[in-house]
Amino acid sequence: MSWSQSVSDVNQPNRNVAQTATPSNQKLETPPEVAIALNSFNAFYGEFQAIYDVNLNLPAKQVTAFIGPSGCGKSTLLKWINRMNDIVPSAHATGVIKVGDLQILDRQTDVVDLRRRIGMVFQKPNPFPKSIFDNVAFGPRLHFQIAKQDLADLVEWSLRKAAVWDEVKDRLNKSALGLSGGQQQRLCIARAIASGPEILLMDEPCSALDPGSTSRVEDLIYELREQYTIVMVTHNMQQASRCSDRTAFFFKGEVIEEGQTKQIFTNPQQQKTEDYVTGKFG
Amino acid sequence: MEKFYTTPRSETNRKAKNRYFSTLCLLVCGLVVLTLITLLTSIFITGGSWLSWEFLFAGHLEDNPEESGIWQAIIGSIAMCVLCALCALPIGIGTAIFLEEFQPRNKILRALHWLVQLNINNLAGVPSIVYGILGVTAFVYMFSYFPSITPNDPPYCEVGAEYRYQLKTLGGDFVNFPCPDKNDKEFRITEPLEAVNSQGSPFVLNVVDTRSQAPKNDPVLLKQTVVKGKRPSAYAVKSFFYFHLPFGKTVLSSGLTLGLVILPIVIIASQEALRAVPASLREAALGMGATKWEAVREVVLPAATPGFMTGAILAMSRAVGEAAPVLAVMGGVLVTTNGLTNLMAKTPVLPVTIYKWAGDENVGFEHLAAAAIIVLLVLLLVMNSIAILIRSRYEKMLG
Amino acid sequence: MAGKSERDFEQALLRNYDLKSSAMGKVSEALVMTLLVGCGVFSLAITVGIIVLLFSQSIGFFNNAELAIDPWTFLSDNRWSIGQTQGTPRYGILPLVSGTFRITGIAMLISLPIGLICAIYLSEYASPRVRSVLKPTLEILAGIPTVVLGFFAIKFITPYLLQPVGEFKTFNAASAGIAVGILCLPLVTSLAEDALRSVPNALREGAYGLGATRLEVTLKVVVPAALSGIISAFLLALSRAIGETMVVALAAGSTPTFTMDPRQPSQTMTGFIVETFQSESLEPDSIGYYSMYAVAAVLFVFTFTITLIGQLIRMRYQEVYN
Repeated sequence: MSWSQSVSDVNQPNRNVAQTATPSNQKLETPPEVAIALNSFNAFYGEFQAIYDVNLNLPAKQVTAFIGPSGCGKSTLLKWINRMNDIVPSAHATGVIKVGDLQILDRQTDVVDLRRRIGMVFQKPNPFPKSIFDNVAFGPRLHFQIAKQDLADLVEWSLRKAAVWDEVKDRLNKSALGLSGGQQQRLCIARAIASGPEILLMDEPCSALDPGSTSRVEDLIYELREQYTIVMVTHNMQQASRCSDRTAFFFKGEVIEEGQTKQIFTNPQQQKTEDYVTGKFG
Repeated sequence: MEKFYTTPRSETNRKAKNRYFSTLCLLVCGLVVLTLITLLTSIFITGGSWLSWEFLFAGHLEDNPEESGIWQAIIGSIAMCVLCALCALPIGIGTAIFLEEFQPRNKILRALHWLVQLNINNLAGVPSIVYGILGVTAFVYMFSYFPSITPNDPPYCEVGAEYRYQLKTLGGDFVNFPCPDKNDKEFRITEPLEAVNSQGSPFVLNVVDTRSQAPKNDPVLLKQTVVKGKRPSAYAVKSFFYFHLPFGKTVLSSGLTLGLVILPIVIIASQEALRAVPASLREAALGMGATKWEAVREVVLPAATPGFMTGAILAMSRAVGEAAPVLAVMGGVLVTTNGLTNLMAKTPVLPVTIYKWAGDENVGFEHLAAAAIIVLLVLLLVMNSIAILIRSRYEKMLG
Repeated sequence: MAGKSERDFEQALLRNYDLKSSAMGKVSEALVMTLLVGCGVFSLAITVGIIVLLFSQSIGFFNNAELAIDPWTFLSDNRWSIGQTQGTPRYGILPLVSGTFRITGIAMLISLPIGLICAIYLSEYASPRVRSVLKPTLEILAGIPTVVLGFFAIKFITPYLLQPVGEFKTFNAASAGIAVGILCLPLVTSLAEDALRSVPNALREGAYGLGATRLEVTLKVVVPAALSGIISAFLLALSRAIGETMVVALAAGSTPTFTMDPRQPSQTMTGFIVETFQSESLEPDSIGYYSMYAVAAVLFVFTFTITLIGQLIRMRYQEVYN
């Protein structure tokens, strides 16, 4: 079953509930080039326009980094991709965001299922004040009817995937708040991948971490792109160049330039981009 | 360049003013501390020596302060407190969740939101005696919708009461038997029926036409014999779930009224508990595809529970000390014969007891009132310590 | 996880979980939302209930044919003699209102200045050591039941504080006023302190930077900036004092008087309500019963209006700095 089929299934009115979860790990016969497509997308907070006419195609199974000075709309865009901006009463948007065939901004779109398919990792590690196990099991328990042993396996798998298993395997029932910042952030990544998403959104995932933890999380991000489409916002240009395949440069709510990371950093086409990546402003 | 000539204000003078004010503040604060010390000492001197185990475990005796005690009042206060918490906590926490966790998008709900928030703060400012009046009308008389309770008529919608007739036989024994129809006021004995004697053993009542036919020679039979046409007196055996409408001047009415009094306090404290839960936890849950209610139920509520408990205890300690609404609903009860056997009973509570004793002309009761105040303050101290303990743990947990 | 290759395992893991039905979730979500809205509406219903109740029953008082009393006489007559046996009973609420305001006035004279000074001291001056004494003292004072303060008023304030200095009656307005003042003090302090603390530190730093002393910073910058919060604290304390019941029921006596003398007894609106409830003969539909509602309605109008204004001011200033 291909990616886009599984997404279109969701739109059928009488969806079979017992349908299998999306096999994100299966090799696709013809991998779609584009995982997320944005078309003349505009976002607003009340009267204020935060994003102007963005047209972007984010490729599947790659890491795309959003860079730009603060307040340029990159986090806003990220939050619109899984509709986290629904929480903000004044936020609204126009245009099209498509994931496969799924229209994200469509009112009929099931936000709950959407967010299961598009996981999110936040700026500050935010584990729940529960045990490590319960943190990771949170998503699966919400979304799946799952046997106890399967759940335990799934938790272990997620923690291994997030490269934190060896550090926590002896204390799964202890509070997640006892972990260090870096461990907490990797736990949050494990928590996000446990509900079987295809896309991971990361909002400055390393900005609250020390350098050692940062490099571990960066390595992890680089590994995870084999299975997941990753979109990440970062303030740190070195980070973008270290662990992303493609980079989009935002400035005052517009995408100035988008391309291969290497190209953006070594041979930018726009003057603004060059000024930013060389540190003339920002 | 033009020069401005100014006379500088004396710096020493300004500094001295600052010092004077600082001293004044300290004196005023000292006065406040002194007030509290005076209050506590005066109460302890008046009542301290009257504290004893007998005082704790005895009941109120009219005109006899030496042997009076507050056991029933303690039980009553605790029961009342639990009752009002049971009714105020679910509604209060529900309202707090409504106000804090659900930002309504449509206009009507948003207006409702604003209005409820404003109203909560206003409710907290309504005098407790006004709640007392509301309680009397809504719970005691139920807007006079049901016939009022009088000694002669059994109340409406009665549950858990078994009516029995009692009478004295010719042999002088008190026997009783089930009452066939509790509304029949003209019931008379006409034929033999099954009854229970004062020892509790069943027998068949022997009915004779006139007193002269009584079996005078047989004392056992005589104890089981009544004259035809005798009128027995009815009484009710009330079980622990005894219940009727309207609630009347009972512990249930007072508990519900106190629930209304503490409702705004519970709501405000619960709102604070919810606000203390970091927004990042909600985002995390929503970002994983939890619905709003799932995020609240699975993440926010567990994290806020210690805060709810602290607020609940503080609200309950307010209820324990509240006298006016209880006085309005139940009247100034000092003692009951049966104690608190069901929700439709009256009971004394500590603050009302203190009020009645403090106003008593017998000087002995003044000391008793002070002793009861000490007990009440200790009770409050215990409740508040628990609240503080939970709060400090909670703050550690949320970092 | 032994025995399987990781890839096998992953495939097995992710393919076989059944998604939970979301229809049930939506139903329960709607149910919960309704319940929560219901809770919110309940609190509104209490207010509406109180208002409707007080005013509908007061109408019963004014419609009573025997009494033939009109609202204007009720509000303007200066005699209240409902419980007395001789003479025609008079129903003028002014003595009760004046009793309430006599006691409230004394209470405010005590609690407002002291409370404000404590608040200023706590927020601007106090060292951690003084704070650690004063703060718990105020918290304990705030937690003391009002009936205890009433006891303190009749058994200590009147005999040991007032009667040595003047001819105070056993029950008098002054002792009740002082006790109510003690009661309002923690409320004024904590609300005013909140208001002072919500003034941004940048303002203080600005003033210190110009060489102002602490007193000048406090009186010329912080207090004016927090003024609306302080006024709201005063209003809330005022409303609390007007509604206070047990202290006045114990210490102020049960004689309605129309005077300015704080040494005389002075029954208040709340005191009258409590006294009516205590009389054994209180029956629904009696004159005493209805008169109580009329008095309660007046009391409610006073407290509700003052609280409402206080709240609105408070909401305003909270918006300014948050």
